[in-house]
Amino acid sequence: MISLPPSERDLHAYVDHQLLESDRRVLETYLAAHPDVAAQVHAWQHDAQLLRAALGGALQQPANPDLDPALIRQRIKRQSRRHLAKAAVLLIAVSLGGIGGWHAREVSQPAQLPMADAMQAFRLFAQDGIMPADYKGQGGGTMQAWLDRYFNQAHRLPDLSASGFTPVSGRLLTTEQGAAAMVLYEDPQGRRISFYIRPPGPENGFLPRGSRSADGLQAQYWSGAGYNYAVVSPADQPTPAMLKF
Amino acid sequence: MHELDEQLRELIPRLRRFAVSLTRNPSSADDLVQSTLERAIIRWADKRVESDLRAWLFSILYRQFLDAHRRTRRYARMLEFFTGRDDAQPSVERTVIAQSTLQAFDQLNTEQRALLLWVSVEGLSYKEVAEILDVPLGTVMSRLSRARQALRQLSDGEIASPSLRILK
Repeated sequence: MISLPPSERDLHAYVDHQLLESDRRVLETYLAAHPDVAAQVHAWQHDAQLLRAALGGALQQPANPDLDPALIRQRIKRQSRRHLAKAAVLLIAVSLGGIGGWHAREVSQPAQLPMADAMQAFRLFAQDGIMPADYKGQGGGTMQAWLDRYFNQAHRLPDLSASGFTPVSGRLLTTEQGAAAMVLYEDPQGRRISFYIRPPGPENGFLPRGSRSADGLQAQYWSGAGYNYAVVSPADQPTPAMLKF
Repeated sequence: MHELDEQLRELIPRLRRFAVSLTRNPSSADDLVQSTLERAIIRWADKRVESDLRAWLFSILYRQFLDAHRRTRRYARMLEFFTGRDDAQPSVERTVIAQSTLQAFDQLNTEQRALLLWVSVEGLSYKEVAEILDVPLGTVMSRLSRARQALRQLSDGEIASPSLRILK
């Protein structure tokens, strides 16, 4: 039940047809006797009418086929299937860690390709970006400290700052022989290079310094201080001149 | 095939209209509608049965817009610098004389445009609007009142007074 004189809220509710029928009648009687208030109300009603008319045209746009719900539904299904597949690959890779892990992958490929796990890690984490980083660092110093928690007296993270690359995130991975880690570098253009460190595997052993490329990636690898290392980058990306470890 | 799809299809023109009124740009409006539909399809199970589908979709769309807007806010200043357009501020304070209701409407801030479209054009109830914005009913009414005054002044070509800057 509204009280008179009506509050401004009552007047708006009247304009918006949100008053009870009885209240509406009370208000109409009041408006009839108060032309100044009525003029205000009519102005609002008029604005609303003009707005409805002005925006009416926007309902008549030609249809956009991209907005068809059935199509969108299909797209969602495809995407979730793809994500599931990726997640499954990752799950298998991780859960096999104890028995074979990345090693199992290497066996299924023509074996003994050095540091195939480093390249695979780059593909999964730097290119597909399917898992959040374990560690995000500011500057090389803290990233090095993070790495030192897991690897004893390993070679220092390469300083690629002369080429514009700085370490941005780190991920821990597992191999049959123990923990591995990948540190991702990025330059201001968003290009990526990874530094990978792992214990030497029975197959991998210690590596002579070398490099190889496969599936659009290039890896440089070497051994030292009890670990194997690789620096992986896309093959089409000019290798920074720094790579002297 | 899917029953929801048919209902969604019918509401697409309204969603597009709402999206244009927020983004003021037809192609980014359609992007917004598309991501709204995606979210609606994915989250269909979360929708409360009794709530109105249209109000639910408006609320998804509005939230997506605000999120995107927030993300791009840091670019807003740059954009403003180049285009002279200022989306982040209530635009009522600009001393522009509107030629038409639509132009006046376009100068309102985001929430005011949404409010007037929901209430005056789409005819949503105050309660539905309160749920979309997640504010009390009384707040909806006072914001609506301010939006209406602002539209009135802009349509009349009045130069907005500084007091109108106290918009929440």
